[in-house]
Amino acid sequence: MPDRPLTRICYVEDDEDIQRIVRMSLERVGKMTVEVVSDPTLALQAFAEFRPDLVMLDWMMPVLDGPALFRQMKLRPETSGLPVVFITARASERDLAELQALGAAGTISKPFSPRDLPEQLRAIWAKLP
Amino acid sequence: MNHSTTANGTSRSLEVSTKAVEAEIRDRADPRQVLADRVAHLYRQMPIAIGATFIAGAIATYELQGRFLQELVLIWWAIVVTFSATASLLLYAYYRSPDKVSSAPDWLRWLAIAALGNGASWGLAGGVFFRSLSDEHQLFLGFLFAGMASVGVPVYAASWPIFALYAAGILGPFFYVLLTFGNRLFIEIALLVPLFYAVNVVIAYRLTQVFLSGYQLRHAYGKLTQDHRTLNQRLEGQLVDLEEARRQVEASGRKLALFAERAPIAVLELQPDGTVSEVNHAAELLFGYAAVELVGGHVKKLVRPEFHDEFDRIWQELIAKRESMAGLKIRNPRRDGIDLICEWTVTPLVNFRHEVIAVIAQGRDVTAQLEAERMKKEFTSTLSHELRTPLTSIIGSLQLINSGVMGDVDKEVGELTTVAERNGQRLLDLINDLLDIEKIESGKLTLAPELIAPDDLVREAMVLNKAFGERFNVRFEARGELPGRLVLADRKRVQQVMTNLLSNAAKFSPAGGVVEISAEDSGANVRVAVHDRGPGIPEAFRGRIFGRFTQADSTATRQKGGSGLGLAICKRLIELMQGRIGFENRAGGGATFWFDLPRRSAA
Repeated sequence: MPDRPLTRICYVEDDEDIQRIVRMSLERVGKMTVEVVSDPTLALQAFAEFRPDLVMLDWMMPVLDGPALFRQMKLRPETSGLPVVFITARASERDLAELQALGAAGTISKPFSPRDLPEQLRAIWAKLP
Repeated sequence: MNHSTTANGTSRSLEVSTKAVEAEIRDRADPRQVLADRVAHLYRQMPIAIGATFIAGAIATYELQGRFLQELVLIWWAIVVTFSATASLLLYAYYRSPDKVSSAPDWLRWLAIAALGNGASWGLAGGVFFRSLSDEHQLFLGFLFAGMASVGVPVYAASWPIFALYAAGILGPFFYVLLTFGNRLFIEIALLVPLFYAVNVVIAYRLTQVFLSGYQLRHAYGKLTQDHRTLNQRLEGQLVDLEEARRQVEASGRKLALFAERAPIAVLELQPDGTVSEVNHAAELLFGYAAVELVGGHVKKLVRPEFHDEFDRIWQELIAKRESMAGLKIRNPRRDGIDLICEWTVTPLVNFRHEVIAVIAQGRDVTAQLEAERMKKEFTSTLSHELRTPLTSIIGSLQLINSGVMGDVDKEVGELTTVAERNGQRLLDLINDLLDIEKIESGKLTLAPELIAPDDLVREAMVLNKAFGERFNVRFEARGELPGRLVLADRKRVQQVMTNLLSNAAKFSPAGGVVEISAEDSGANVRVAVHDRGPGIPEAFRGRIFGRFTQADSTATRQKGGSGLGLAICKRLIELMQGRIGFENRAGGGATFWFDLPRRSAA
């Protein structure tokens, strides 16, 4: 378990409505600081600027989807160590297993409960080395 | 040279075999039948013996009376008459006898006694009268004895011992009288009597052998004829059966041809090299070719050129293995160039030398079916993503409002947003249930089985479903414990079943009620059960409770929520885990839903 609390989250998601709900959930319920990125191609740059504790990736996004972005992060030393949680509506169990094997910290399925989302993330955070 | 030797050899062996066959034939005769025939023959001769005795006896009596004591002659005459009458009665009894075969030895014995009596009555005449007679009458009597003795040969020929008894009865006393007469000539005649007797017995013996052989042959041939007739009848029967079988084969051949001709699937008969010999009407319709355009050409006309190599490989395998292949999906171009995807079953027909003589190919157009499957998959994927994403926003927003983190809202507005959130959740449950059912039925659901303690299962279920209980104002209570047991199950999926059962129980329980959860041993299984005090399961609903989209009362759906798929999913999930699910109404009202999972050891 990391020795500091989970406070800075960066969320890459193309759907503005869900962005808004996640932001409200994490800020209001979880009292965290949230940075939302709508364009996944700009995500790596945003990570470098925002320096999040944990990254949440949507699975299905145009141009660059979550898993592809995740693989790019793994190739860069400055992002390869960032814990990544996937938010997804359709991944099969095999896909999830594959991502876990690649080093994803966890997955949260859509629809998630904004009431419980901060707790779910903190639980994943607590299990990190 | 060689030829004649062979011919000689053949004829000799034929001779030998004829004898052997004769002996074999004789052996076939039933000895009881042969004896019965001999007895019958002997009895047939009896009227002659009786008649001869009576007539000769009458002549003798006439000749002797006056020359001898009148009483003695009359007594002798009475003996002869009595004998004749007794013998006639015996004959009568024999002809009346119902079973002449099995009683033949008895009849033979009686006849032997009669013959001895007959002979002895003549012997008596010799013993009593001979000494006191004049020369002429002695000659008359001697002649009579010789005559009577030789008449016995043909009469008793069928049984030489009877003749021997009969002749001994006549000649025995005569021999004694001649020998003791005191006259040299008579002694010489007496010495001729045994010789005469012996010769007659030998002749009788020979005749008996001839009779025996004759009757044996007669019966053997009779039996042979019978066998022959039976064989003929059997052969005739077989011929009839064969004819019937031929008719059936013809009929089934016609039926098969009809099946192929009228079948809604394409049927092609191919030669072992792939040349088309015959096609049915459905094939013409399917591929748009007339039969004459296909027959005589290679079947590859119906295969896209880029797949010809693959086709050749499969064809060679088919001809080599001579085994039917099913489920071959092949892209077949129609005459107008449009591709069909057909599923083929190909069956090589093999003759008795295991050579392929033809290949029957049956094809079904599955293009539309494959398209439907693809569309179903696409629809499922749409359902899962395109519906869930907006629902995430809807339910999420409402949850944020209802949880109060956005600040207080007006009471009535809050009620409405709660209704909206609950129904959003209901829609989501329905989608999830549909996806689950689809996944299970298409065999895509993979389980992650692990060893679980039933007690843990119950405890977890109570924690996970606490919210349901609170919502319907129902208390969940665990009843009893089952320590030390393990079941092999997918934890997440069993909890899904528990959630279904507990939410149903909570929904249908009266407010303030208690829902009990129990885990107990049930044979080789562990039974987990949920007991409620609701209205129970209506009779009419029991048969289809685990069906899809079923709820006892459609108003219940509106009031209590639920997709009507829950129990259908539970049943399929439990069965996937080698378990069983069921229910019963409780005494005192309410229902128990249970599932059994096989018990495992911790090894």
